[in-house]
Amino acid sequence: MLNQIKEATEFIRKRITQEPEVGIILGTGLGNRMVEEIEEQVVINYNSIPHFPITTVATHKGQLIFGKVRGKSVMAMRGRLHYYEGYSMHQISLPIRVMHMLGVQYLLVSNAAGNINLDWKKGELMLLEDHINLQPDNPLRGENFEFFGPRFPDMSEPYSKELNKKLLRIAKKEKINLHTGIYAAVQGPSLETRAEYRYLRTIGADAVGMSTVPEILAARHMDIACCAISVLTNDCDPDNLHRVELQQIVDTAATSEENVVKLFMGLIEQL
Amino acid sequence: MIREIKEATDFLYKRGIEVPEVGVILGTGLGNLFVKEIKKPIVVNYNSIPHFPISTVEYHKGQLIYGDVKGKKVLAMQGRFHYYEGYNLQQVTLPVRVMKLLGVQHLLISNAAGNLNPDWKKGQLMLIDDHINLLPDNPLRGENYEIFGPRFPDMSEPYSAALNKKLKQIAKAKKIKLNEGVYTAVAGPNLETRAEYRFLRRIGSDTVGMSTVPEVIVANHMGLPCCAVSVLTDDCDPDNLKPVNLKEIVKVAGKAEPKLTQLYVELIKTL
Repeated sequence: MLNQIKEATEFIRKRITQEPEVGIILGTGLGNRMVEEIEEQVVINYNSIPHFPITTVATHKGQLIFGKVRGKSVMAMRGRLHYYEGYSMHQISLPIRVMHMLGVQYLLVSNAAGNINLDWKKGELMLLEDHINLQPDNPLRGENFEFFGPRFPDMSEPYSKELNKKLLRIAKKEKINLHTGIYAAVQGPSLETRAEYRYLRTIGADAVGMSTVPEILAARHMDIACCAISVLTNDCDPDNLHRVELQQIVDTAATSEENVVKLFMGLIEQL
Repeated sequence: MIREIKEATDFLYKRGIEVPEVGVILGTGLGNLFVKEIKKPIVVNYNSIPHFPISTVEYHKGQLIYGDVKGKKVLAMQGRFHYYEGYNLQQVTLPVRVMKLLGVQHLLISNAAGNLNPDWKKGQLMLIDDHINLLPDNPLRGENYEIFGPRFPDMSEPYSAALNKKLKQIAKAKKIKLNEGVYTAVAGPNLETRAEYRFLRRIGSDTVGMSTVPEVIVANHMGLPCCAVSVLTDDCDPDNLKPVNLKEIVKVAGKAEPKLTQLYVELIKTL
C-alpha cells in the first residue's frame, strides 16, 4: 500500500511544475466548469499513473488536472472512484493519500446527492456540516500507518468550521442559496426505496449519496482541512416518489455547477 | 459472470426448461405444498447445474422444479441461497439472472420473517410493500452489464404495484389475512437482540429477515416485476423476548404454508 502511494506520487511529481496546496474532487456532472477555471494546466490521465484505479462510470472522466486558480496551486480530480464500482476503500482513498504526499493542505469536495430534506428543492446546494457513514467498509481498516495519522482519527469536526464559515459568507455575498446539513453515504448502486428514504430521514440525514465520506475519512486521518458541497439533484419524497433517470441527475448537477464553481473559486482565493 | 450465467441457462434449457413464464422462490419451511401443485414436473438438482451454488441450509432442499401450474409454465426454486451461508450476493442472485434469461416474466418470492409489528401475530402473512436493505453488500457492486440493466436502478417501486393489487384482491376473496408492510434485510445468521428489534422498528420496519432483498434488487435491475410475501414466524417483542428455536419457526411456517400456496396459485392463474 505505502509503496503504491509512493510510486504514484513520484510518477506525478516528475510531471508537474509546482506542488499543489489545494485538492478538488469533482462529482457527478460537476467536472466541466471548474476545470475551465484552472490555468497553466498539466493533465495526467488516471490510466497512466501506476496503481491508480480507473473510473468505470461513464459520466466521470478519469484525469488529474494540475494548475493555478486565483494564484493558488491546485490539483483537481475529474472523475472520482466509488465503492459500488467494485473498488476497495483503499483504492478509493489512494488519490487522497497521493494528494497529501504532494503537499495538499485543503480538500474541496463536490458531489451529486439525493435531497431528503423536504424544505429544500433539487438544484439547490447543501454544505456538508456532518455525515453519517452507512457504507460497509472503511478506508482506514487494516494496518494503520502512523506516518499518515492516528489509529483512531477524531471525527468531531470532519468538515472544517473555518472553511464552512468562509463558504457561507461567499454564498451570502454571491446570493447563492446554500443549505447546511448532514450527508449520509450508502453503498449503492441501486437507488433507495421509499422505506429507505424514511429511514435515512429518521436518523437525521438531509442528503444521501454514494461517495465523499471515504475521501473525507482518509483526508481527516492525515489532518487535511476539508469541506464538501452537495448538489441536490433529485427530491426524494417517499410519499411522492418518481422514477429517477441518471440523465436528469446529471442535467440538474450541470445547471447548479456554476454556483459550486463560484463558491470554490471564492474560497480558494481566501486560502 | 455473464459466461457463468449463460452456461447455467443453456444447461437448463437443454434439460427441458424451455419456456418458463413465472419464477417462484420458496423460503424457509415453505418448500412443500407449492411444489405439489406443479404438474408434470422436471426436477433438476442445484449440484448438477454448472456454476450454481449449493444450498447449505438443512431444511432448504436444493432443486429447481419446472412444470405446469394452472396452465402456466412455472419454474420454482426449492431452497434459496443466503448471504450468511458465505456466498457473495452475485452467487445468491445468479438463479434470478438465469430465470430471466430463460424467459421468466414474473417473480414470486416467499420468506420466513420475524414480526416486529405489535398489531400482527406470528402465523399471519405480510405482503412486502417496500424494503430496507441493511445487508453489507449489494449484488450490483462491480462492473455493470448494460445487457441486464442500468448502472443505478430505480427503486421507487421494487415490488410491482400491479401484482400486489392482485394479491390483495385474492386474499380478500379467499378470506386470508394479508398484512402489508416493510421488510428489512439483515446479514444474520445470528438472530436480533432486543436493542436491534427496537432499532429496526424505529427506522420503519414491520418484519426482519435474511433474504429476499438481493433477489429483488437483481430482478428490478433486469426489469422483472416481482412480489414477495413474508410468513411471520415469530413475534419479536423487545419487551417480552423469548429464545426462538428454529424448529418452532419452521413449524409456524409450515402452518401458514397452505395460505401462501393458495395466494400464489391463484395469482399465477391471473398472469
